[in-house]
Amino acid sequence: MGVIVILIIASVLVAGGFLLAFLWSVKTGQMDDDYTPSVRILFEDELIIKKKEIL
Amino acid sequence: MQVESFQYDNKTVRNFAIATIIWGVVGMTVGLWVALQLVFPTVLNLQPYFNFGRIRPLHTNAVIFAFVGNAMFMGIYYSLQRLLKARMFSDVLSTIHFWGWQLIIVAAAITLPLGFSTAKEYAELEWPIDIAITLIWVVFGFNMFATIIKRRERHLYVAVWFYIATFVTVAVLHLVNSFELPVTLFKSYSWYAGVQDALVQWWYGHNAVAFFLTTPFLGLMYYFLPKAANRPVFSYKLSIIHFWALIFLYIWAGPHHLLYTALPNWAQSLGIVFSFMLIFPSWGGMINGLLTLRGAWDKVREEVVLKFMVVAVTAYGMSTFEGPMLSLKSINAVAHFSDWIIAHVHIGGLGWNGMLTFGILYWLIPRIYKTQLYSKKLANIHFWLATLGILFYAIPMYWAGWQQVSMWKQFTPSGQLKYQFLETVTYMAPFYAMRALGGALYLTGAIIGMVNYFKTIGQGTLQANEEAQAPALEKAYTKHHGEHWHRWIERRPTPFLLLSLVVILIGGLVELVPTFLVKSNIPTISSVKPYTPLELQGRDIYTREGCYTCHSQMIRPFRSETERYGEYSKAGEFVYDHPFQWGSKRTGPDLAREGAGNLKKSNTWHYNHLEEPNAISTGSVMPSYSFLIDHNLDTSTTPLKINAMRTLGVPYAADYASKANQDLMIQAKGITDDLNKDGIKVPPNKEIIALIAYLQRLGTDITKK
Amino acid sequence: MNFVGRMQTTTCYHCGLKSATEIQINEKYFCCDGCKMVYTLLEENGLCQYYDLTEMPGLTAKGHFVSEKYNYLDNEAIQEQLIQFKLGDQAHVIFYLPQIHCVSCVWLLENLHKINPGIIQSQTHFEKKEIKIIFNPSLISLKQVVQLLAFVGYEPVIHLGGNDWLKKKKVNKKQLYKIGIAGFCFSNIMMLSFPEYLSNNALELGSLRHFFIYINLLLSLPVLFYSASGFFISAYTGLRQKWLNIDAPIALAISVTFSRSVYEILSQTGAGYLDSMSGIVFFMLIGRWFQDKSYDSFAFDRDYNSFFPLGVTVLEEGIEVNKPLSSLLKGELVLLRADEMIPADAILLTEGALIDYSFVTGENAPIEVAIGQLVYAGGIQKGRSIQVEVQKPVGQSYITELWNSPVLKNEKNIEKSFVHPWSQYFTIVLLIIAFSSGVYWSLYDTSKILPAVTAVLIVACPCSLLLTVSFTYGNVLRWLGSAKFYCKNAAVIEAIDKIDTIVFDKTGTLTNHEDTHLEYHGMVLSEAEMIAVKSVTRESMHPLSKMITQLLMLEVSDLTSFQKIENFIGKGTKATCNEYEILIGSISFLKSNGIHCDDSLQGAVVCLAMNGVMKGYFAVNHAYRDGMDKMVKRLQDKGYHLHLLSGDHPTEKGHLTLLLGKNIPMFFETGPEDKLAYIQKLQNQGHKVMMVGDGLNDAGALKKSNVGIAVTDQTHLFTPASDAILEGNKIKELQHLIDYAKKAKLIIIYIFILSILYNIIGMYFATTARLSPMVAAILMPISSISIVALSALLSFSFSYKIRSRN
Repeated sequence: MGVIVILIIASVLVAGGFLLAFLWSVKTGQMDDDYTPSVRILFEDELIIKKKEIL
Repeated sequence: MQVESFQYDNKTVRNFAIATIIWGVVGMTVGLWVALQLVFPTVLNLQPYFNFGRIRPLHTNAVIFAFVGNAMFMGIYYSLQRLLKARMFSDVLSTIHFWGWQLIIVAAAITLPLGFSTAKEYAELEWPIDIAITLIWVVFGFNMFATIIKRRERHLYVAVWFYIATFVTVAVLHLVNSFELPVTLFKSYSWYAGVQDALVQWWYGHNAVAFFLTTPFLGLMYYFLPKAANRPVFSYKLSIIHFWALIFLYIWAGPHHLLYTALPNWAQSLGIVFSFMLIFPSWGGMINGLLTLRGAWDKVREEVVLKFMVVAVTAYGMSTFEGPMLSLKSINAVAHFSDWIIAHVHIGGLGWNGMLTFGILYWLIPRIYKTQLYSKKLANIHFWLATLGILFYAIPMYWAGWQQVSMWKQFTPSGQLKYQFLETVTYMAPFYAMRALGGALYLTGAIIGMVNYFKTIGQGTLQANEEAQAPALEKAYTKHHGEHWHRWIERRPTPFLLLSLVVILIGGLVELVPTFLVKSNIPTISSVKPYTPLELQGRDIYTREGCYTCHSQMIRPFRSETERYGEYSKAGEFVYDHPFQWGSKRTGPDLAREGAGNLKKSNTWHYNHLEEPNAISTGSVMPSYSFLIDHNLDTSTTPLKINAMRTLGVPYAADYASKANQDLMIQAKGITDDLNKDGIKVPPNKEIIALIAYLQRLGTDITKK
Repeated sequence: MNFVGRMQTTTCYHCGLKSATEIQINEKYFCCDGCKMVYTLLEENGLCQYYDLTEMPGLTAKGHFVSEKYNYLDNEAIQEQLIQFKLGDQAHVIFYLPQIHCVSCVWLLENLHKINPGIIQSQTHFEKKEIKIIFNPSLISLKQVVQLLAFVGYEPVIHLGGNDWLKKKKVNKKQLYKIGIAGFCFSNIMMLSFPEYLSNNALELGSLRHFFIYINLLLSLPVLFYSASGFFISAYTGLRQKWLNIDAPIALAISVTFSRSVYEILSQTGAGYLDSMSGIVFFMLIGRWFQDKSYDSFAFDRDYNSFFPLGVTVLEEGIEVNKPLSSLLKGELVLLRADEMIPADAILLTEGALIDYSFVTGENAPIEVAIGQLVYAGGIQKGRSIQVEVQKPVGQSYITELWNSPVLKNEKNIEKSFVHPWSQYFTIVLLIIAFSSGVYWSLYDTSKILPAVTAVLIVACPCSLLLTVSFTYGNVLRWLGSAKFYCKNAAVIEAIDKIDTIVFDKTGTLTNHEDTHLEYHGMVLSEAEMIAVKSVTRESMHPLSKMITQLLMLEVSDLTSFQKIENFIGKGTKATCNEYEILIGSISFLKSNGIHCDDSLQGAVVCLAMNGVMKGYFAVNHAYRDGMDKMVKRLQDKGYHLHLLSGDHPTEKGHLTLLLGKNIPMFFETGPEDKLAYIQKLQNQGHKVMMVGDGLNDAGALKKSNVGIAVTDQTHLFTPASDAILEGNKIKELQHLIDYAKKAKLIIIYIFILSILYNIIGMYFATTARLSPMVAAILMPISSISIVALSALLSFSFSYKIRSRN
């Protein structure tokens, strides 16, 4: 079953990578706001141009 | 720093969308075809290229990598740009990604019917295509991360995290599982053997489901569902927890595909525990999705996009509930190898992936073409056909699967097995027909959808480059208090993710030193010997024809199976199997001991059966393989194959490669002579002889004294 | 028919206010020009998605907004205080915008750069109601930024002491790191432990076994030394203070578990309990994190600083100069515009002072002040601009001195939670069991002493205790929050449990600041008389006169002309109208004109005399919130002693007794320190006091009381330092809220019983020295998860009363 070693190492490394990702996201304040981003995606930044053209 | 004007690339999105639509219809048509082959085996199996065994992989690959794959890229290219407020990093890369992926699909569509297959489920494509996939995947990843770097929105929305996870994990899975030794341009042997191969394969197999069919689509759900409903996701916090929990649990669910097999117990249980725990994050996600629509059900009633999405999310909930259940040993003992599983995966495929994809298409196409949907009515018809299709597909299969299993397991009072295997096959006929009907309904829906999409496209004009504005991301200023070891990450998320990937690969490769594998694969049963050259050639024909799609080679330790097939399989029996051929479905009987014990049949029987299965066992759904009688066996490859096997640690004598073909001819001769006795005149250099030789070898080792 | 047109009410496209106006632009009606101006601004900048995202998202722009108000923002020193970071063409500033309430708000605020290119980027934080603005100082000044915000309806709250209290509210990242690392290690250790548990025999694993175990050991280190560090530290500090806090046994359990595991691994006798250990740490960290739910958009501990403006306009040789309030000196001349707050006790120099002290003293009506009189810090000028001369520095003003009084210095609610003594008993019992099992085995099988003793310490880790407490309080805090009752922290909930006395403030608490109305007491006026009076009052710009006019307008519509009228600023009006000789004004004014009026009469009333006879008086009343009487009844039935302290005049007393019943002690014209003293008195009598109040005048009492609840009608409005914030319209629920808060303890007790059962099971295995890592690994998550679930379930089901009223 030596192959399980490979799989475990691979998985642990993947998980480790994501742990780093997690730490990074906390560090850079990705986690500071857990509501506004979900609102922000609803905005259409394309629309504005259309309005501009009308003017 | 000022408000920057830039353009979203809708062209690539459009391309992937169209590819999705077309490949979807193609893949489903093939699916319908294979379904019908089980109803009209003699009519629809057009040997050699369009036998069930060759185009069932075509179906799975087409729907997974062509339909779902393109859909996923479509969604990612649309949402990623908008979530990051930036155009994709490089149009060139986007184009390469698109065309590269389509080429891979075409290559698959050609090679699979030609029989170029590694015979590892969902990874059947041969090594040159594997390499192509790797390259294109890297292109995709680079393009994505580069875009993330030049983003104008500091916060990475949860969907983006799901995309990243998809990229990283699929890359690793693909690399580890496709570790194979090329023999010829279109033939390779898996580096792993037997149990190890099985473990790697299903570690990949399940995670392919997890990270190719699930995580990217969860990302899409978290973007397109709120957009379509124009309300924020029920709980963003929950979605974040959903992501991190899923990431840490999914990796280890794989082994539940191998319960009761020769895989060590603890590895099996490992799979069970993790599979079961998966239900929590999965349902968290489903609830989050559905609750997003709370108070908007009126919208759902008139908005067809939402209808599709609701069914999709519900289907996700169903299959993520069924999954953990099926990975419980007691349930798995029943459901495994049966058609129940087919129903289960199609709830996921048709329901979750299919419906979500169609929903997204209905929402997205009018947008990028700045027009209205061509016909709401048609869209609704599509919706109902699809929904009915799923029901007509799943319900008969669940029922049939259940019946099938109970027939397999039934004993007479006198302790005999109640049913011949063939009886269970003929019993399935009506259900297979119903399933085909369900598939047909779903396909019809998809075609109507296709018409609707193309009409919509026709009446609009593509905003190939959509104008947008966003302020540049302000320089990340930091009051340098308390330097952290990972401060550099702060400014560059990508390098470290790429790096962690590199680390993974190096780590993996270091460990993958083949010798290590070979060492860890010492035969535990002395009587198990390598295959003879002829058997080896026969085995390659077995894999080429995709026999594993209907025949398992794994007898589980149940009385019902040992009675029917003989002694249960031991890990030690498979040490020379590159790749393993345990299979995952028993449309036909198990073949692990086909050459041994009471299953042993005469060469003549095999010859006739392969030539005309129905003639021997009436009602059999197996295609005819009469072409094997005409095809000459390509013995030129024998030395190569022997050498390859030696590199993989199979103990052939050092100079055996040169002698192999003589032995081969001798053994072939023996079989033809035997056939001659029954008046069958066939030269020994035909493929059928090799295959018979292999079948006769199956399971004989441990019975040898 | 523009008459009809006028009568129709239209809904304001911007703010949704119903009104009868004709203000409109491209078929969109507006309640006022303010709203219209905002709309046109957005329209010109193509920001009309604002209106697509939410229906009528705007905030009523009605009410003048004085742009000079922000002149002080030009002052360098002040900018220093506000701007967080400045570098060349970039300046970062964070404002608190309590008005943020919907998707549109976020959208508009994050698109400010489209209105003014000087703004580089603006990012909102919905829950904190904050906006971070990055602007280019060379293109737009801080003042202009604020003016822009105010113009579109989001007037930032800027106060002395600047953003200090904003800065406090930073998410605790360290905690998240710890959770992340613990979670990662836990999941992987668990994964690597399964082979050990699940393999039928060690042989099956072979060399892998050691590989797994050592990786586990490796993974467990960060958990022990980083993630769990908090428990050790707090346990240590606890012991230094000579008492066993709840973290002590936990720290003990963790260290025992770890050391035994290390021993087993190195001696190759077993795989240890590393998964249980990391699991425990992980779950408990989650619990702590869950409990630390803070209401980001409120500040519970503001001192007077947050009530005063950041800057003032000072007159130096007649020139307006802006300077920070902090540097305001005695003797300086301060210019106060309408609606500006008096920054420090000062002497009035110009006419037209009309000061609203309601927030400071609870006094109902604005008071007129004559030149040369003292005006107190915290009052708000209602009339036109005035000038005052500062008498005392800000810090030493009458109102601000409250905070300096020593009684307020001591910390409150620091008495140990009722869980801590329990955890002590727990620890003691635990040690006894461990010891006795050790003794037992020493008699029978010495080899089992160590296993048994350590196992006891491992299993009986009081993490279930801790989890119960933290999760239950977390849930209760949330449910109370959803009922608009925001507690500062879990300690408050425990404090509420002990309350036996409740003291109410009147103005703004039992009454509602928002709607004030005038009441007439005295002889009935004939129609003619009313017409006459009205005709006179409508001549005066004095707010009270205006109110009188409106009041009478309801009675009679037509007007009459008058012969003679003279106004005495700050006193009243004397007029002759038809046959009436009208005197209207303060009591003193009437007295000075030889009118006899009863002495009982006092306070903020406008007296009316006609032809030398006292007719009656107009008194300003705040409407009482509905349901007060029921609420009071319910509280009394529950056995609470109620008291009422009002800064107002006893004019209301009769009415109040009718409303609340006789048996409530009531005190009027109580100043801040009176209230404070009263609370102290009650406490000295051994009462646990809850103070319910609003204004600055309650600040002392709120701080002194065991539980100070600040009442507010918009949660974003300023509330003095308090333990909890309650929305005005929820006061009538007070009793249910208190009940629910009390339930928390009950829930905790229920769950303790459950966790004790788990402990007994664990103890069985432990004392019999049969605790396999497997059992531990199963017991640990089951107990934790079931506890969390039960806590959530109970706190939900108990909350039905406060939910049903939402």
